[in-house]
Amino acid sequence: MSQSIVDVQHLKKTYRGWSFRGRRNVNAVRGVSLQAYAGEVFGLLGPNGAGKTTLIKMLLGVVKPTSGTATLFGQAIGSSAARRRVGYLPESLRVDRHHTARTALQYYGRMSRMDAASIGKRSDELLKLVGLEGRDRESVRRFSKGMYQRLGLAQALLHDPDLLVLDEPTDGLDPVGRNEVRRVIDRLRESGKTIFLNSHILQEVELVCTRVAILARGEIKAIGSLDELSSSDQQQLVIDVPRSEYADGTDPMESDWSPLIDLREGQTWSASVVRNQDRLTIDVEGQSQIDRIVDRLREEGHSISRLIVKQESLEETFMRLVGSEEADVS
Amino acid sequence: MKPYFAIVVDSFHAALSSRILWIAFVAIWIFLIALAPIGYHEDYTTTFRWFDLDNGTQMKAMLARGLIDPEESETALGRIARVFPESVERQLKQVAQGEDVRIDKAALAGALNEALDNEDWYDADAWQATVRLKELRELDEKTADELTESERRRRARLRIEAALPGVFSVQSSRSIMLSYAGFEFPAFFAIGKTQFIALINQFVVPIIMDWLLGFALIFLGILVTASIIPDMLQPGSLHLLLSKPISRTFLLLSKFLGGCAFVLLCVCQLVIGLYLIAGFRLDIWNARILWCIPVSVFLFSVFYSVSTMAGLRWRSPTLSIGVTCMFGAFVLVIGFVGSYFDALVRRPDQIARIAVAGSDIVVACRGGGIKHFDPDSNLWNELIETDFRRHDLIVPPIRLNESMIASAQIRNGRFNLYGSGSLDALVMRREDDFDPKPGMRLPNGTRRMYVWDDSLLALNNAGIMATKMQQMVDSVASSEEQDDAESDETAGELDLNASGAEVSADETIPKSSAAIGAAAWISDLLRMQGGATEGFVDILPGNVKLTDPVRLVFAPKLDSVVIYSRGRLMRLGRPKDGSMAEGAKLTVEVERTIEDSDAAATVIAASGDAVLLARQNESVKWFRASDLEAILEFEIPEGERLIAIEPIGQSESFAMLATSGQVWMVSRKDDDTVTTRPLDFQDVASIEYVESLGQLVVAHHIDSIDFVEFPSDKKLSGKTVRTIRPSLTGWRKVDQWLITPLRTITPQTGELSETVAALVSGKRSFAIGGNNEDDTEVIRLKIARPVLSCAAFTAVMLALSCVYFKRRDF
Repeated sequence: MSQSIVDVQHLKKTYRGWSFRGRRNVNAVRGVSLQAYAGEVFGLLGPNGAGKTTLIKMLLGVVKPTSGTATLFGQAIGSSAARRRVGYLPESLRVDRHHTARTALQYYGRMSRMDAASIGKRSDELLKLVGLEGRDRESVRRFSKGMYQRLGLAQALLHDPDLLVLDEPTDGLDPVGRNEVRRVIDRLRESGKTIFLNSHILQEVELVCTRVAILARGEIKAIGSLDELSSSDQQQLVIDVPRSEYADGTDPMESDWSPLIDLREGQTWSASVVRNQDRLTIDVEGQSQIDRIVDRLREEGHSISRLIVKQESLEETFMRLVGSEEADVS
Repeated sequence: MKPYFAIVVDSFHAALSSRILWIAFVAIWIFLIALAPIGYHEDYTTTFRWFDLDNGTQMKAMLARGLIDPEESETALGRIARVFPESVERQLKQVAQGEDVRIDKAALAGALNEALDNEDWYDADAWQATVRLKELRELDEKTADELTESERRRRARLRIEAALPGVFSVQSSRSIMLSYAGFEFPAFFAIGKTQFIALINQFVVPIIMDWLLGFALIFLGILVTASIIPDMLQPGSLHLLLSKPISRTFLLLSKFLGGCAFVLLCVCQLVIGLYLIAGFRLDIWNARILWCIPVSVFLFSVFYSVSTMAGLRWRSPTLSIGVTCMFGAFVLVIGFVGSYFDALVRRPDQIARIAVAGSDIVVACRGGGIKHFDPDSNLWNELIETDFRRHDLIVPPIRLNESMIASAQIRNGRFNLYGSGSLDALVMRREDDFDPKPGMRLPNGTRRMYVWDDSLLALNNAGIMATKMQQMVDSVASSEEQDDAESDETAGELDLNASGAEVSADETIPKSSAAIGAAAWISDLLRMQGGATEGFVDILPGNVKLTDPVRLVFAPKLDSVVIYSRGRLMRLGRPKDGSMAEGAKLTVEVERTIEDSDAAATVIAASGDAVLLARQNESVKWFRASDLEAILEFEIPEGERLIAIEPIGQSESFAMLATSGQVWMVSRKDDDTVTTRPLDFQDVASIEYVESLGQLVVAHHIDSIDFVEFPSDKKLSGKTVRTIRPSLTGWRKVDQWLITPLRTITPQTGELSETVAALVSGKRSFAIGGNNEDDTEVIRLKIARPVLSCAAFTAVMLALSCVYFKRRDF
């Protein structure tokens, strides 16, 4: 196991507020525990209001936890030492309008305690990397959202941080830009950086993340690698049985498949006709149940033209865990 | 500190990118360009203005006498009286006939100005009898060819002033004429360059500070910077900043400092521009003007701390501006209320003069009231009510004997010393609980009374008049008898008595010219001028005419009176034959002329064989009283001015009171040096040495009094033997328990202009006026208090803001 860069233990955050009806507390994060290890791209998925941003703010020291502990590089969150090794790209970066891309990088570089020479050198590299080369003397007033996002990524990388916290990094970017960002992330991962990615774009997470945590209502619903999330015991068996292969001349539409399908409690199945074949879609759990169903069909003389065992996708996992009423994914 | 420095620098850049800043820059440059053509030049004071005629009634009387008195027809007075146009001459003749005629001062001044250009009225022989100041004597010695037009007009003015002594207020011999782009303004300032510079430093710069820097730029600054904190709190900006390895406290403080950059940029241009204009155009190279820069930024920081707090709390620039404006209005109201309490509650109660009779103390206050201290109630009882409008003038109370104190109240005297109405002495006796009773009639325009052995002297513009002390004491009794008699009579007619106590000035002037002869008119006119009355006789020798500033002290050891009059220091001995009260004249024994600023405000004291004389902006001079030889000079602390010197008996040591409210004891150490020691008192308003008690009475902190023992044989020692700490009454309680605490917790931003005045002028205090020593307004600039109150407030606001910013989740 690699070294734990982000270590969160039972972190809770309750916002206290007042309304006309009296005191009103909002439990934004309810005892979250997770770890992100060195060199991995850790994705944080969740619907709006799940507590993702609050969790990131706590990690960055912007918001103080109500209880629980968390460390970055073994240092308590919020400490200057911890923040020194973190690069952060906020969701909607706002740069003062008097800046150009270059002066903004100088400003944020100073914030990260870099010297002028390092800032100059890194700025040249990063402006080229994010595609702002040649537009570095232009006022940010004329920047599009995508350009802001590129500038934000550059400032996050400026001081060569060991941990990169990216909040919706491809938001506002065109497909080419998204692809470039993904390539940057891949390159950073290859260079051993740890990336903590907060996104609601499932495709993006699937493409770049090595591990994912799904957060809903302030709680971790699932955590692990994409395979781990997808390799749960819940599988779907799809069997196509050709009608022409019936031996006794019975009408297949009248066939009763129920005796042949051995279901466990809670499992369901369905039958349909697809291109003159019966398609049986059956919830299964484990290879032994698949074997039993196939054996039974064969014993009854049914021919099997096609057999598919379907694994659950990330979206399906997300939908299953979070529930469609909360989902806001693309 | 690099990150925080970067934030401050970034704020500078943000300010420079603000359009409002550039609009402000343009406005400042337009203002400076508009101001740049201003200039001035110094010239002789020649033109008469109506307010130069200090004593209108006296002037009317003099001119009327010049017109009708045959003896005056060829004198300087008579010749001047004839230069007025016919309409004025007719009015003057009506005055001579006892009619109450009002003559426009402007008309008189206009006629005198015409006389400046046509000197047909001048006759050298006639002017030989006048008291000619040194300046006039020097101009008279020059031939017409040697004189410039300005000098000729100046000479004409001085001749007119010599012909009408005591009529004109003391003016500087030089005036400042302002010009704009080469065109002269019609008005001029009758002040010399030194006073002009003082005027700029003490009044003009603080006014600019108040309005331009303290109001306009601060408001503009708040408008521009109100968005800095709310902008920083925008999620996309704040979260990124907070993710950096920097302290939240320093982040906020850096943003705060950066916000001040806007005002700094504007103020620097404005103040440096004003400094250069003052230097190049007015020849006032006063680098202290640059103090306005930090003070203005400091003032802005007070308001910006409120804006910062509001911005943190509500994250709205509009609310920040609103809250800051409300705070500014609150501060303004508290400042106004405070200054009104200063002017209407504290200042009127401030002791100006002290008279001690036995164990009783009677004081004259700045508000024109006279009060007696009642030890039983521990309160000051008003004998003459305080006049908040301060129209009346109180002649400083003096001790007549162990149970009697005298003073006088000149109705509307502050503006018209020789105004209508009688001037009766007010005698306060212990047996009457010091209730003022009318005593003898005093010469018109009496400013001061003095007791010299068995004589009572009255000083006014016309000279020094004397009467017997006993006559004054008896006058009260006779006045009471007359009151009793009046109460028995049904008819209200008044008779002239020996002292004339009940006769008003108007009534002394006969209503019918047919009923009384010209001699009587002249006598009445002389009295109107402030000359001798029935009870008082002139004791000055004919060759001594007093010209302001006039100061008088006694030198008992030499049985003399020492008089200072416009640069002339004289010791006059008691008449060798006859009593002063019976008309015997003083004799001039020694006389000295003290060069340089003879019109400057002066204080003087005599003790033993020593005379101490201090003129404004000069070192203090120590004279030997016997021959008025200057023995030594010494300096008082920089920026101070002496407003009173009291002799400590005949010990040849003195107590000196400076405008700062500090008292120093001074005595001679050897031939060339003096020993000075400060007394442990602050905010002293008045001092008086009571020889019979051997104590120096020190009035301080409005109306508190300490009696400090200074026996004549123990020089410079001093022990407080009695204190008076009166209880508060009425509005003073409100001031003490409500207004003062409110002013303490409220930053006194308005008073920062006083700090500027002190920094720019280099003076902690100064006095306005001074020709009449009892009418000198002492202004003590509050330097530390506004700075401390503003600094404390800003620190508290910033501390609260930092705690809020540090603890708050964003």
